[in-house]
Amino acid sequence: MLKKRVIPVLLLRNGYLVQSKKFSKYQNIGNAIWAVRRMSEWGADELIYLDITQDGQYDAKRDDLRHGNPTSIEAIVREMSQSAFMPMTVGGGIRTLLDIEKRLQWGADKVSLNTLLAEAPNLVEEAAKEFGSQCIVASIDSKRVDGQAIAFTHGGQTSTEWTTLDWAKRAEQLGCGEVLLNDIDADGQQTGYNIDLIAEVTQALSIPVIALGGAGEWFDFEDVLSDTQASAVAAANLFHYRDQSVYLAKKHLFDSGFAVRKPELQPFITK
Amino acid sequence: MVNEANYCKVCVAPAHAVNMTLDEDNVCSACRVAEQFEQLSDDHWARRKKRFERLVESIKSQNEGDYDCLIPVSGGKDSYYQIHKMATEYGLKPLLVTYHGNNYLPEGDYNRDRMRHVFDADHLMVGPSVSVLKKMNRLGFKMMGDMNWHAHCGIFTVPIQVAVRYKIPLIIWGETAWDISGMYDPDDFVEFSAQMRHDNALRGYEWYDFLDDEQDPLSSKDLNWAKYPSDEEILEVGVRGIYVGNFFKWDPNAHTQLVKDQYGWKEKEEPFERTYRKMSNLDDRYENGIHDLLKFVKFGYGRATDHASKDIRTGYMTRDEGIEMVRNYDHVVSSDLYYWLDYVDMTEDEFWRIADGFRDPRVWWIEDGQWHKYNLWGGSSAYGKVYLPESEWAKYLRKEPA
Repeated sequence: MLKKRVIPVLLLRNGYLVQSKKFSKYQNIGNAIWAVRRMSEWGADELIYLDITQDGQYDAKRDDLRHGNPTSIEAIVREMSQSAFMPMTVGGGIRTLLDIEKRLQWGADKVSLNTLLAEAPNLVEEAAKEFGSQCIVASIDSKRVDGQAIAFTHGGQTSTEWTTLDWAKRAEQLGCGEVLLNDIDADGQQTGYNIDLIAEVTQALSIPVIALGGAGEWFDFEDVLSDTQASAVAAANLFHYRDQSVYLAKKHLFDSGFAVRKPELQPFITK
Repeated sequence: MVNEANYCKVCVAPAHAVNMTLDEDNVCSACRVAEQFEQLSDDHWARRKKRFERLVESIKSQNEGDYDCLIPVSGGKDSYYQIHKMATEYGLKPLLVTYHGNNYLPEGDYNRDRMRHVFDADHLMVGPSVSVLKKMNRLGFKMMGDMNWHAHCGIFTVPIQVAVRYKIPLIIWGETAWDISGMYDPDDFVEFSAQMRHDNALRGYEWYDFLDDEQDPLSSKDLNWAKYPSDEEILEVGVRGIYVGNFFKWDPNAHTQLVKDQYGWKEKEEPFERTYRKMSNLDDRYENGIHDLLKFVKFGYGRATDHASKDIRTGYMTRDEGIEMVRNYDHVVSSDLYYWLDYVDMTEDEFWRIADGFRDPRVWWIEDGQWHKYNLWGGSSAYGKVYLPESEWAKYLRKEPA
């Protein structure tokens, strides 16, 4: 049986690692590159890295740091991939096939597409053919509108007017190999995952689904793994609140009998 | 570029402060977090207290050592308050741990040395030799414009080393240090992490960056106090660092009064030159002095900005009063500069030449051989002579005023 994965998500905005609350509030919490290294050391199964910068500006606004201040997405992804021991998915701001090719060159193993699903579904289809479905992840942001889960694009700003379920099915038809399913209402709220939605989507799809949005404690991961067919649990903010978080989360699940890989530390070798 | 519009409209913090953001209403992330803390009702605080007690119990249950908890302390007002909370109120036996970087002011020495007697607690102090410290001062200043890197490193390393060696899983920190830039919300209940230490406190530098300098040679063994324990060692003991400020209302002015009245804690007799507060940073003569002057040199604001911003948020000061404080203090070249130059054997010219190299071109420009920047209160001013060699001026030349 395929092991369930535990995946930290790093959000990058204007050169900072940030945490996000309901897609509307962002707080700068530090340096993304060092965070990648920690996620590697804690034995994360994969890493998802989403660039949610709106204006193309990358500047951590200080020049007295050891690791410098990379001012382009290329420099950031290249540097991050140096510290990533695990497969890395890179998303955000991807609009062309060339954008995908570049990110794969810079060190990404997969890319995630969100707005492109609405703006140019034909490109998504082409990308899946050219690069292979296994490397195209559909990133879907769901939000409740009049009691119904609706898929949104453009950083949660624009409604597709499709239900999240239909949007996910369409992504599968377009050739995406995986779905990253996030819930805008639960984002950063620590109130638990949207289990009903995850269950509904995972049941309807034959491709793997990564559940994201709402994790507040390790027990929330259990709910996803017990009550849905999700292939992976992902979280962003929560993994920054406590040291060794990813390791501890995996350990919690492993010790409780869930089918996750054995938690193992992978310390970097320093001088 | 940084101008008058880049300040928070509630406090006096500039938007380019490290890790800070301004929202669409021009209110900074630190003020937003402070609002959330202010809005917490008595009922909320009672629940947080309960959460604290449960967490302490659960961490303590793994305790195989002789002490109930470890408290990293400098001997300042916050240290006294943390020990008051844990030893006096909760009746726990703490091990007090201090990194001694040889920068104490006399009042700081007094408070630190009395602490163990007042609280009937054991106190462990770790400090490098003055010879190592002088090298660390010089190297830190040259590498990143901060002679106090050793202190940030010692403060955030030694207590964790001791916790691992003495098998004490519970470390009690004080103020939620990220409130200064509003990085996390009260309900995030953030714990101490190696990432926070490395990234925010140490700016990505580690002990090995200080090895083998030609003028100031240091060996790996000189820096044992700076080596952070591995995840494996930490997990073996189950060490976790939690913040009192996340669970109990953090009011430094009220805490100062409490520790003065109850424990005879002393604030500074003479005022500082670079801030109006007399109760902060007595453990380090440079923290409110030239360490902080370098923050002004780099980013165009200093500790008076930080102190006034905090006091505005907690209602001790109006914004207009805060602006006056910034005007009076932020730019002052304090006399500890000369004490330090003597300590590390450096000339003032060399100091300014190196310091100028760290000026942020987003903030500073050169005009008529002087450093200029915009002011919180509007307009721009000159802030002293440029020591930087002319060959390095290019990035600081602007067509000003716009």
